[in-house]
Amino acid sequence: MRRKVNEMNKIWVIIKREYIVRVKTRAFLIGTIVSPVILLALVLLPGFLATRGGGERRVTIINQTGDAGLFDSIKSKMEEKSDEIPMSGDQASLRATQFALTHIIAAPTQSLDEIAEQQAEKVRKDSGQTFVILPAGVLDGASAQYYARNISDFSIRKLERAISSSIIERRFARAGFDKGRIEDFTKSVDMETNKITDSEIKKEEGSISFIISFVMLFFIYMSVLFYGIFVMRGVIEEKQSRISEVLVSSVKPTQMMLGKLIGIGLVGLTQMGIWALTAMGLTVFGVSMFASRGINFPNIPPMLFVYFVIYFVLGYFLFATLYALVGATVSSEDEAQQAQMPVTMLLVVPMLIFTVIMNNPNSALSTGLSMVPFFSPTLMMMRIAVVNPPLWQILLSMAIMVATIFGCVWVAGRIYRVGILMYGKRPSLAELGRWLRYS
Amino acid sequence: MNVIELRNVSKKFDSFVAVNDLSFEVKGGTIFGLLGPNGAGKTTSIRMILDIFAPDSGEITVLGEHVSSPIQQRVGYLPEERGLYKKMKVGEQLTFFASLKGVSSREAQLRAYDWLEKLQLKDWKDKKAIDLSKGMQQKVQFIACILHEPELLILDEPFSGLDPVSTELLKNVIIDLKKQGKTVIFSTHQMEQVEQMCDEMCLINHGTKVLSGSVRDVKRSFGRNTVIIDYEGPDSFAGEDLIKRHKRFANHSEMVLQDGVDAQEVLKRAVESGARVNRFELVEPSLNEIFIECVTGKKPEQSLAAKGE
Repeated sequence: MRRKVNEMNKIWVIIKREYIVRVKTRAFLIGTIVSPVILLALVLLPGFLATRGGGERRVTIINQTGDAGLFDSIKSKMEEKSDEIPMSGDQASLRATQFALTHIIAAPTQSLDEIAEQQAEKVRKDSGQTFVILPAGVLDGASAQYYARNISDFSIRKLERAISSSIIERRFARAGFDKGRIEDFTKSVDMETNKITDSEIKKEEGSISFIISFVMLFFIYMSVLFYGIFVMRGVIEEKQSRISEVLVSSVKPTQMMLGKLIGIGLVGLTQMGIWALTAMGLTVFGVSMFASRGINFPNIPPMLFVYFVIYFVLGYFLFATLYALVGATVSSEDEAQQAQMPVTMLLVVPMLIFTVIMNNPNSALSTGLSMVPFFSPTLMMMRIAVVNPPLWQILLSMAIMVATIFGCVWVAGRIYRVGILMYGKRPSLAELGRWLRYS
Repeated sequence: MNVIELRNVSKKFDSFVAVNDLSFEVKGGTIFGLLGPNGAGKTTSIRMILDIFAPDSGEITVLGEHVSSPIQQRVGYLPEERGLYKKMKVGEQLTFFASLKGVSSREAQLRAYDWLEKLQLKDWKDKKAIDLSKGMQQKVQFIACILHEPELLILDEPFSGLDPVSTELLKNVIIDLKKQGKTVIFSTHQMEQVEQMCDEMCLINHGTKVLSGSVRDVKRSFGRNTVIIDYEGPDSFAGEDLIKRHKRFANHSEMVLQDGVDAQEVLKRAVESGARVNRFELVEPSLNEIFIECVTGKKPEQSLAAKGE
């Protein structure tokens, strides 16, 4: 019994060293503080900037229809406050953009090119200037023409809608309909999306699930890759500086490996913990603030965070073990660059095929792929974010991962104990196979 | 009591035989030299003693038990390839290595301070290892392997890379440890150090034992086959029919006789050749000579010597 406690103690000593040495570095501090700031900026900045000022668009409307009332109609529609909730930065900026409309009445006989030539100079001089030509036949189906330096400006959609509905109203009026009823006729129909889960049916914007699942996929990928490489470099450092020679006289190589895996894993969890607290703080204090400015902060179900942590931990142990194995078989970081490729590929593949899951998250193919232990942390996580797969599938994928981790730790442990004392030429696969059998 | 016993130990890596049927024992409280050329199987033997590798066949006992983790805590090991964490402070490293051997960090800190003072390193306690010279790193490494007060010390090339002052310092520490009843095994290529410090020795080559026993017995078994001669004049008398190896020093020559050659014959020829002989002495070979002789394989009666332990 005494002996067992002793052995645990050794792993603990190693875990402690790995953890403290890394958490104390400046890189950790910077990485922990800077990355959430960058992430937050990415999420919130577009919306924030939009409320600050989508800027002013100066639009000249060149009206050839001879109907001066058309301009007033468009203008009033542009000034109406839209009641739709802006979901993304684009829509928010659209809402916030100010339009200054000017009216020019042109003769119906003037050609489009002629007018365009006349007006183009203004736009060339001042890129804030744009103009729209409403040709004489616009009521009968001719197109309105928009001219600007920047034609991919999202805010022109609002202008398009205002022009379109104004003209449609005119057509109804021309056909003799009562002015008051025209608005009822022309009201457009919205389709809201509702998500069915195992327990409830709720209103949810489709793009939100997508954003959440993609962010989670990306985060798991990045952090598993980052900390996996961290482990590999740690192993190479000990091997290169011959510290492993000293350590093996005190601890078993497997203990060294596990201590390193757990120690660095805890560094990762610490970092995520700090991030989670920041995110929670932001949710509590930030959401109301942003909501008052018209920005919705995505409402993420708490279970998603739980799964995220579980899949991060499992994914980390699976990949970090493989990275440790790679580290033990090479003699320098340069060699490692090449040797790590197969492992990194296993991690990258889900990033290439995640659209399969996205398009049909419950197909047999998607389910099968998300059960592959190397893909589960990313793909199953994504399915959870998108469709809530049956619990048994989630548990099964976790069980497969745990079993694979045990297998990998066993193999890596056997390779590790030989590898950390071998220098020189990189071993071939056949040699690695023989290392497995050394006693 | 034997602190280490190896019985018919063999170890293969794939088709390469690193250690072949090796047996030797180390008595408690002695300094034991494990000698051999590069690649002879010294490091593999040491790793098996430390339970880093398991032997393919044969038996090893250390401190009376089969090697296991609790035994590891009573052994200190200075590997040939040394390593410290570059960016860790000297004091922290020492505490880390000692706590792996089960020493509490308080205790480790106290002992580390004592030892750093003893080896003239106390101003470097809070410096990172990367800022230390190679010799200093080596001394830190030595402290790391004795901080848990092991009963058995295994030192692989302990003096390589040390200046004469540090070498002397370390030698005295090792001899002190022996006086305290500890057992020390060390491997080295410096035969003078073996002659000065070791009680017993074992020379291995190609994974097998070439000779072993107390340093005195080993030398005696080779007989007085070396002539130290101080002369003036030509050295044409020292022909290859008489002399196997000829080492010239500033004021004398050391000649190893061919097998079966009488030393008188050398003297006679020297006088006949007209050389003026100031000193002529027949001595036992130096360990260095024995080492070269055994390793280059020119000595057929090596097995005889091995029996003479």
